[in-house]
Amino acid sequence: MPERPEHKPALADKATVEGSGIRLEPLPEGHLLHVIGAFDGDSLANALPTAGLATSTVRAAGYQQWYITGEESLPPSRIALLADHLKGRGFVSDQSHGRIRIALSGPRAADLLAQGTAVDLDAAAFPIGQSAVTLFGHVSVQLTRTQAARFELTVLRSFAEDLYEMLEHAAAT
Amino acid sequence: MASLISCPHCGVRPKEEFTIRGDASLARPTGDADAGVWYDYVYLRDNPKGRHKEYWHHSSGCRRWLIVERDTVSHAVHTVSDAALAKLGGAA
Repeated sequence: MPERPEHKPALADKATVEGSGIRLEPLPEGHLLHVIGAFDGDSLANALPTAGLATSTVRAAGYQQWYITGEESLPPSRIALLADHLKGRGFVSDQSHGRIRIALSGPRAADLLAQGTAVDLDAAAFPIGQSAVTLFGHVSVQLTRTQAARFELTVLRSFAEDLYEMLEHAAAT
Repeated sequence: MASLISCPHCGVRPKEEFTIRGDASLARPTGDADAGVWYDYVYLRDNPKGRHKEYWHHSSGCRRWLIVERDTVSHAVHTVSDAALAKLGGAA
């Protein structure tokens, strides 16, 4: 039997960075489901407990698009449950292995992000729970404010290391 | 070139997040149209002074095609609408 490639987290070699007023950490590669459909984000969030995803969060990712994320790795049967629930209204695409999440927190987090993105990060314009698909430098990211001083960046897997190093560098200066 | 585009889905973003395709008012000729008509459609473009409608793609954002009406002299952006939704609604 041929050897099968072993899954290795994209940021397995990266450590959490703690600086003055900043904390940068790779998040577990749990689940990340891309949902496309003609409904609103609230009705999608309400559908999650029925599909067994009560602890997952919904993030807007553009016109009629969302990402459902969580720390837990999901077997195909659990994803199929959600797909069945949305049948006829929306589509689910599993992106768990394709996109990586990075958390940035602390009083300096917004200032550090402002170095790379044009999104207005003022709490009034970008409150907790708000998401934006944007650029960080030249890298496409989805930026979410999860707490007052905590953000998550979702990035394509092949850009994860580069983005992490960019943030490490910014955190150190 | 306008430096800020107000995406109807994402809000105000810098032009670096977008790619531009060109004139949004061109009508594609039918397949059996005269070669001269096709030549004009493919190769000839107006270079308007003032208000102009263009297709812009929010490639690093929501990935929707937009119709941006901007002034080629002042760079002011007048209107931005979602191209597909505008088409469904019958107005560009």
